[in-house]
Amino acid sequence: MSTKHGRMGWLFASPYLIYALVFFLIPLVWSLFLSFTDWNLISPTFTFVGLENYMEAFRSPGVQSAFFVTFKFLAVFVPLVVASSIIVALIVQGLPKFKGLFLIGFFLPYLASGVVSSFIVKGILSYNSPVNEFLRNSLGLDINWLGSPFAALFVVAMIIAWKFTGYYALILTSGFESIGTEIYEAAMIDGVTPWQRFWKITFPLLYPALFTVLILSIGVTFGIFTEVYQLTGGGPNFATNTWQMEIFTRAFSNLQAGYASAIAIIASVVTFISVFIIRKLLEMWGKRNGWS
Amino acid sequence: MKMKKVASIVFAASLTVAGLAACSTGNKEQSGGADKNGVTTIEFWAAPNPTQQVYWKEVAEEFTKENPKIKVNVSPMKESPTSEASIQSAIAGGSAPTISENINRGFAAQLSESKALVPLDELEGWDEVKESRNMAETMKGWEFADGHQYVLPIYSNAMLFGWRLDILKELGYNEPPKTYSEMLDVAEKLKAKYPDKYLWAKADLADPTAWKRWFDFFMLYDAASNGNKFVEGTKFTGEQKAGEQVLGLMDDLRKADALLTRQSKDPFESGLGIFVDVGPWTIPYWAEKFPELKFNETFTLAAPPVPDGVDTENVKTFADTKGLVIYASATKEQQKAAMTFINWVYSTPDNDLKWLEKTSLPPARDDLTTNDTFKAFFDKNPALQPYAAAVPNGIPPMDNSKYNDIQTFIGQHAFNPVVKGEKDPKTGWKDMQKAIKEALK
Repeated sequence: MSTKHGRMGWLFASPYLIYALVFFLIPLVWSLFLSFTDWNLISPTFTFVGLENYMEAFRSPGVQSAFFVTFKFLAVFVPLVVASSIIVALIVQGLPKFKGLFLIGFFLPYLASGVVSSFIVKGILSYNSPVNEFLRNSLGLDINWLGSPFAALFVVAMIIAWKFTGYYALILTSGFESIGTEIYEAAMIDGVTPWQRFWKITFPLLYPALFTVLILSIGVTFGIFTEVYQLTGGGPNFATNTWQMEIFTRAFSNLQAGYASAIAIIASVVTFISVFIIRKLLEMWGKRNGWS
Repeated sequence: MKMKKVASIVFAASLTVAGLAACSTGNKEQSGGADKNGVTTIEFWAAPNPTQQVYWKEVAEEFTKENPKIKVNVSPMKESPTSEASIQSAIAGGSAPTISENINRGFAAQLSESKALVPLDELEGWDEVKESRNMAETMKGWEFADGHQYVLPIYSNAMLFGWRLDILKELGYNEPPKTYSEMLDVAEKLKAKYPDKYLWAKADLADPTAWKRWFDFFMLYDAASNGNKFVEGTKFTGEQKAGEQVLGLMDDLRKADALLTRQSKDPFESGLGIFVDVGPWTIPYWAEKFPELKFNETFTLAAPPVPDGVDTENVKTFADTKGLVIYASATKEQQKAAMTFINWVYSTPDNDLKWLEKTSLPPARDDLTTNDTFKAFFDKNPALQPYAAAVPNGIPPMDNSKYNDIQTFIGQHAFNPVVKGEKDPKTGWKDMQKAIKEALK
């Protein structure tokens, strides 16, 4: 590469590099430093505690729960959001007109604040809400939505899935759009069934878009906070205690900045390794089937 | 090659900046001494509550008219993500105010332990404030473990319990129960007449969030133990008998199916529950949103119930009380000016009356029920009278920097599992005590 081109490259990349430096690299170094101290950001003095914060974090029931809860959310949220976004994309795809308008409609929850949606859901699921009154009086069902571990986890996963479905459906719709109609026409001439058409044509050609959606949704799982904070506070009994919730509690309720930084570093490492492994597995799956 | 060098320099510089920032203590002195005209400016952070902000703005303007050499800038405290966190980051960033209100005793303990607060008793004029505001008795409960006073309490919400008087009357009672056995009797009669109603309907009972214990466990514990200190310094001093009695009451209520720990909409207002913890801020809210709730007709207020055999007069209760602090990062001139301002505000009960009228929060002073300045207000607002009367019985939150952990353990190990029937009261208390002692080490 010539020097001139190299300079141009750096020039174009510089806004993002500066952004990354200010908002990612410096905070990361800062956080790493904090994680080895017992500093609360207020005290004029602090002590370097070495790996003590990390050791304490590994022993903490809150951190242990955050680790497992994230994977539980992954198991519930990812299939839920991927299935619902495929369904929405298929429905929109089949519409004769106003596809864009419908997609915007599905996309709107993505723009809604997590606080607002949680507030609405809280009202809907309250003990004396019309929904619960009906379930109790007509069907004899008395469900403690936010008070039992699995139901609470499921409710939070549902809200986030509702929020992201439209966004992912948008990505999948563009995936569908990229599949040429001539392929389907050829398949029809060959007499393939609708089931074969989906599995042998649509799914493989949609795989790149699906891969993106899967990776994005897995990433979302590691950052769940607002809905949990608003609805369950991490309970009942740590059943919905996510990484972000644990970091928030430690940093902003207990003012343990050093300890919270150690948890944040552990969370980042866990997130990176998990996403990396899942990505590799998905790539292998795609390659083995010749989809990517 | 050159660009590589530049990138390396930028990278190294960023690390250096981060490293240097890390070495900062964050406790820089503010630059606000007197300006060339001799005016000292102090920054005042008011609670993120519109009525409180209006009050402080008005008071600050009046003060500056009489004291042109001191300017008080009033601005709302940020609540993002919490008001405590915004103060923490302001101190860390060297932009802490001179004074702020909205500080509870537990947070003040965290701040004072970190040397971020000025001991008010060491500032000139402190004794005058205490005397002119008539708050010597109230202040006794605010002394910190090191013998200093770091907070000037502004208001003291001695929490009370609300009872649905209309439903109690239907059950054959003309006044709220005062003891545990009377309370259980009410619960039994309530379930017999209204199986779908609950004595206490509140999701927080099963939630371990630290502050929620102020409004259930501590209200009952302070009453049962006659205000025994739960933690003193680094020692757990909770009274086992009182604690087990409180947990025992919750266990008995659970067994009687009198507790609803599910999220519900306006449970007390709708009559789903007939008992609820009520602060004075709820009274104007009810008057506006639930005008059908009328004091001494539909609902009434009472001190917390006590275990059988305990005196039912002058029952202690938890006081949700917050106050003013002066930050150590302020300059000496600002600290002096801040004390002058505080002295001026509390030199007359009229400013406390103005506070009461704007916020409905009872000022933390000893003479609230006897001072004629407040008489007309309480005559007009009878539902707030019991709060004024309860001020001397209010026990503020513990002055321990680990209060968040301690209160989380009360919920996690004792209160919540007992309420859910997962533990018996004795085991709950034992487990909680163990966890708290471990945290205090």
